[in-house]
Amino acid sequence: MVEKTRTTPVIAAGLALLVFFGGWFVVTGHGWGHLLILAAWGGYLVSAWLGIRKGSSAAPFHTPLLTSIMILLAVYGIVLYLGSYFWGAFLIIAALGVYALEKGLKDGKEILKESLKASLKNLMIPFFGFFSALIIGVFIMLATGYDPIESYAALFYGGLVKNWSVSILNATPLIFTGLSIAFAFQAGLFNIGAEGQYYVGAMAATFFGLYLNLPPLLTILLIILISGALAAAWNFVPALLKVKTGAHEVITTMMLAHTARYLSPVFIRTFGGDPATSTHAYVTDPILETSFLPRFKGFLPDTNYRLHIGILIAIGVALFVHYLLFKTRIGFEIRAVGQNPNAARAQGISIGKNIFRALLFAGFLAGLSGVVQVLGLDHKLFLNLSGGYGWNGISVALLAANNPIGVIFTALIWGILDAGGQYMIRVTDTPNSIVEIIKGIVLFLIVARYIYVYLGNRIKRRSLRRIEAKNAAGGRA
Amino acid sequence: MIDMILASQIFNVDLLAASIRLSTPIAIAAIGATICERSGVVNIAMEGIMIVGAFFALWFSALTGSPWIGLFAGLVFGGLYSLIHAWATVTLHLDHTVSGAVLNILALGITRYMMVLAYGHPGTSDSIPVTLANYRFAVPLLSDIPILGPSLFNQTPIVYIMFLLVIFFTWFMKKTKVGLHIKASGEHPYALETIGVSVYKIRYLGVIISGLLGGVAGAYLSIENQSTFTEGMTNGRGFIAMAAMISGGWTPIGAFLAALFFGFAEAFQLRLQISGAVSIPGEFFTIIPYVATLAAVAGLVRKSKAPKADGKDFIIEKED
Amino acid sequence: MSPKEERNVVLETRHIAKQFPKVLANDDISITLYEGEILSLLGENGAGKSTLMNVLYGLYKPTSGKILLHGEEVEFSSPRDAISKGLGMVHQHFMLVDTLTVTENIILGAEPGRGGVIDYKKAREQVVAIAKKYGLRVDPDETIENLSVGLQQRVEILKALYRNAKILILDEPTAVLTPQEVDELFEVVKTLRNSGVSVIIITHKLEEVMEISDRCYILRRGRQEGERLTRGATKAELANLMVGRDVVLTVAKTPHTVAKDPIMQLEHVTVLNEKKVQALKDCSLDIHPGEIVGIAGVDGNGQSELAEVIMGLIPVESGRIMHEGEDVAKLSTRQRIFKNISYVPADRQEFGLVLPMTIAENIAIGYHEKMPYCRGLSLDYSYINRHAEELVASFDIRTSSALAPAGTLSGGNQQKVILAREFSREPTFLLVSQPTRGLDVGAIEYIHSQILAMRDRNVGILLISMELEEIFALADRIMVMYEGKIVKELDPEKTDEKEVGLYMTGGNA
Repeated sequence: MVEKTRTTPVIAAGLALLVFFGGWFVVTGHGWGHLLILAAWGGYLVSAWLGIRKGSSAAPFHTPLLTSIMILLAVYGIVLYLGSYFWGAFLIIAALGVYALEKGLKDGKEILKESLKASLKNLMIPFFGFFSALIIGVFIMLATGYDPIESYAALFYGGLVKNWSVSILNATPLIFTGLSIAFAFQAGLFNIGAEGQYYVGAMAATFFGLYLNLPPLLTILLIILISGALAAAWNFVPALLKVKTGAHEVITTMMLAHTARYLSPVFIRTFGGDPATSTHAYVTDPILETSFLPRFKGFLPDTNYRLHIGILIAIGVALFVHYLLFKTRIGFEIRAVGQNPNAARAQGISIGKNIFRALLFAGFLAGLSGVVQVLGLDHKLFLNLSGGYGWNGISVALLAANNPIGVIFTALIWGILDAGGQYMIRVTDTPNSIVEIIKGIVLFLIVARYIYVYLGNRIKRRSLRRIEAKNAAGGRA
Repeated sequence: MIDMILASQIFNVDLLAASIRLSTPIAIAAIGATICERSGVVNIAMEGIMIVGAFFALWFSALTGSPWIGLFAGLVFGGLYSLIHAWATVTLHLDHTVSGAVLNILALGITRYMMVLAYGHPGTSDSIPVTLANYRFAVPLLSDIPILGPSLFNQTPIVYIMFLLVIFFTWFMKKTKVGLHIKASGEHPYALETIGVSVYKIRYLGVIISGLLGGVAGAYLSIENQSTFTEGMTNGRGFIAMAAMISGGWTPIGAFLAALFFGFAEAFQLRLQISGAVSIPGEFFTIIPYVATLAAVAGLVRKSKAPKADGKDFIIEKED
Repeated sequence: MSPKEERNVVLETRHIAKQFPKVLANDDISITLYEGEILSLLGENGAGKSTLMNVLYGLYKPTSGKILLHGEEVEFSSPRDAISKGLGMVHQHFMLVDTLTVTENIILGAEPGRGGVIDYKKAREQVVAIAKKYGLRVDPDETIENLSVGLQQRVEILKALYRNAKILILDEPTAVLTPQEVDELFEVVKTLRNSGVSVIIITHKLEEVMEISDRCYILRRGRQEGERLTRGATKAELANLMVGRDVVLTVAKTPHTVAKDPIMQLEHVTVLNEKKVQALKDCSLDIHPGEIVGIAGVDGNGQSELAEVIMGLIPVESGRIMHEGEDVAKLSTRQRIFKNISYVPADRQEFGLVLPMTIAENIAIGYHEKMPYCRGLSLDYSYINRHAEELVASFDIRTSSALAPAGTLSGGNQQKVILAREFSREPTFLLVSQPTRGLDVGAIEYIHSQILAMRDRNVGILLISMELEEIFALADRIMVMYEGKIVKELDPEKTDEKEVGLYMTGGNA
């Protein structure tokens, strides 16, 4: 038998449930939920300790201890920060410190240093691209007669300070669609029609939100699962066609995206309540309150009233997707198929099965985006509900190089730019579509990594030529 | 159920004329995409190129008062915009699909920004007084042919341009040196490079042709079919054009015929919607073209074969 | 006779060096080509022969050094320059567009006709004329994909001659040919020489150098190791120069007892290819534990379908595939892998490895659903990486760590990763396809000895190879495939390459 130094899956699942319910009670205003979370933490430590005592190749005990402390600090820190208790940031920083400590203890200082260096290096190009795009934006604004300094000041003040909660609200659905597209990309598939799955998810969530009247937690879980599944089913035909005939998913998912978009007005008219009493023909009635996602306001009174826990779900799902992709055999197969389908097939991995897995799960994730948007923020479906979250998800995924954790951050950046743009148009006369252009340029400069090699070569060649010319001139003189 | 009278209201000569009209932007874009992919570059940026072409065509028409200058502007700006795709995919070796997706996104930003600059608000532009539809003319003699005559030869300018493009590019691919080079570049780029023809240049050319045609296709939407520009007015036609290219087996004629089918689907749904023959929400008709595209791609894709090196990066280790 | 003084020098390189980002591919190479001679450039894979030729042909720019053509210094910035100066090259991987016709391929880039329009009639006439002049018969209207490899090569030569090549470079011209086709090619080359064309042949095969060329240069690791007139040189001497040490030209093969019951049997297997044409026709084979059965044949005669059907990558149309007495024809690839059927595919980068993944992941793939590799849904990366480190050590894979992406390894080490994966799974039956393609002598020796070691551990091995040398070095029995059929079984002790070659082309049927 295999030695088991870690917690078994059963215990892990039990602890996860404990954390989930603890968290749930906390966000619905029952402070004692903290006790459940702490109990889960304790349970993890005990099981880790027992595992180490039983196991032969004993990992040092401080690793599980530090890991659990880190997670605890990070979760509480993020929640507090989002609830406008900004000292939560110190907890997040502390969690990072603990992470570094743990890695240092486990792998040694050298590896810690190397991974730090590597991550700094990886951040170079995005940073550079972002910076260059801002500079190009300056030129565009100057050329078209707007004040760049004033505009940028408004943009970043609005996105980071004044309306930071709007940034978070914008980022939440983007994380889901970004994850959806990133996940499909890992299998070598381009889920360009995430927008359509978003609509399906939103429609389904509205429908069940209108009619499903059960206890809150159960309602929300059911809506998330069923609506997500329906959105996944929206990708069934593209997956089937891809496997059976090789029809390219870019076209099939795109066509279905437009189809879903045109179905939403029908949906609104059909399920939007009585047209005689409804004040607006383009909006459904609000969904039942039992299906609302809890808001931070419920347990942290200082926060913005619209901010809901969707962002926490998004972060949690991103972490799960990361685990799924890089630590499980399903993710392994998906990545293998994405990187070399022929070799994967020769090793017995079914390509068709993994295309289905990837596209359906991508549909599920994009559907979640719509679900969370309806349950958390809008509480109803209206025409043009999506702010292009499906399309922007493409940018977010590409920018993050299809890394699920990266998606969280790129979605936040996009959310900040959007929120800042909206603020900018209110206080300056700069059109916020400049933000769209900057986003496009950022994307281009970061995605086209080869551009730096190319420019580097050109500069090198030019300076070489200059040296040669100088030498030639010198020789003559 | 549809009875006979209704059927005759829907299926008549006008339906063919409308099908051809509605297939025009798809066909032009599809021919462009065909040339582009035959040279080995996948171009899913057609949607973005079309929307850029549509905007500039309208804007220049409004500025100069002449839709012909507008058409030229659509052509030029479509070509310029596609140049970014060529640079990204050929010179910078960026994945073709990724570059196309980025350009589609960027095109939305650019047109919105330009809308604000030109009209002070995003959304829909002011309408131009003279469109290319005003230059509709019937070809003498040919338009007198029964049934086909009025639908084929009593049309607006870009529709005729589309016919010419189909003929020209069919000839171009079959008979000219550059056409042969384009085919070789998409099938086996090294074969071309090793006999001294630059694959980079040929691929740039292929992409630019798709850009020029995409610009014209966009111009059709804003200054011939309508007289205004609306954000997102391409409505997925760039992707339908790609479907037409695939269904048409990567040939100009095939692309045209497939586009005709999609145009027919759209004309058909419009008439069905207007006729009120079936009392279901109009949106169900609106989705017919999309579903038809899906069905066409599903049914035909197996038979048509993509160029072998389509979408494959080409690097010859020259410098580094 | 002292030819050097009498004959004109047509081409000369002086101190050519070519630096790639990681390797110095050419280092101070100076060669001379005389008019109307056949010159060989001998060296192992990776010795820098192709690089040198690509430099000559204008595909690469030399880092330093000069090229002299008829005594004049020239600088080629693209193949177009080289072609215009009378150079022609036949690449190892043919530069032909499959979907175009012979004529179109020959005229590509130098089309006759006014303006931009091609004059196809004139083109066809020119092609026919030039084919007639050099006695290279080929149908000008046939599409390339319908031609045999030998004829495709002929088109390549015509392509160069059409451009008035006076210097013809042939890169590994015999790699894909049957012995009979090789003879024909050599006749063509001699005709060309007699009509004043100078020929450079790039090769790693000593026999060819001895048979066809007048003179040869030997390259090793990017450096020039010597120049010899073929007349008077010995094979052993050349081999020594090429490899830099005494080489055992064949790996020692010890007799081994073969078990009586076959481990793998194909019974009347028929397979359809993508075009629904029979690619394997009623194939029957049996492989016993402890023997190596070699499949000889010209590429494209059903070998790849044979490999794929055994692994379950394509379905059988009819017939049975018996493994240890059990029909596996309906089982999935995965199930066959779990029945200890192992596969070393011909194209290691395309079918063998997932290059962006780590070596460890590449070793785990296929078994990633088996117990120590995974635990529930999760993969046990600590086991996977540890296991890979062990194999990296025992198979002598040169890498910084098992966590490096497989794409960073050299070809030989990539092949070792595949061997490590497949051989460590204790196979009962092993399917090996083209295991040494493109590898250098050291790697070939190692891989051959590993395959023989597997045989000595009573594994039944089916070896598919286009290299007759390899078949003769390893196989205990030779099966010749021609057009999807096994046409002949031969005993390597009692036959020779000529006879096998004859059956490979459908002769003696």
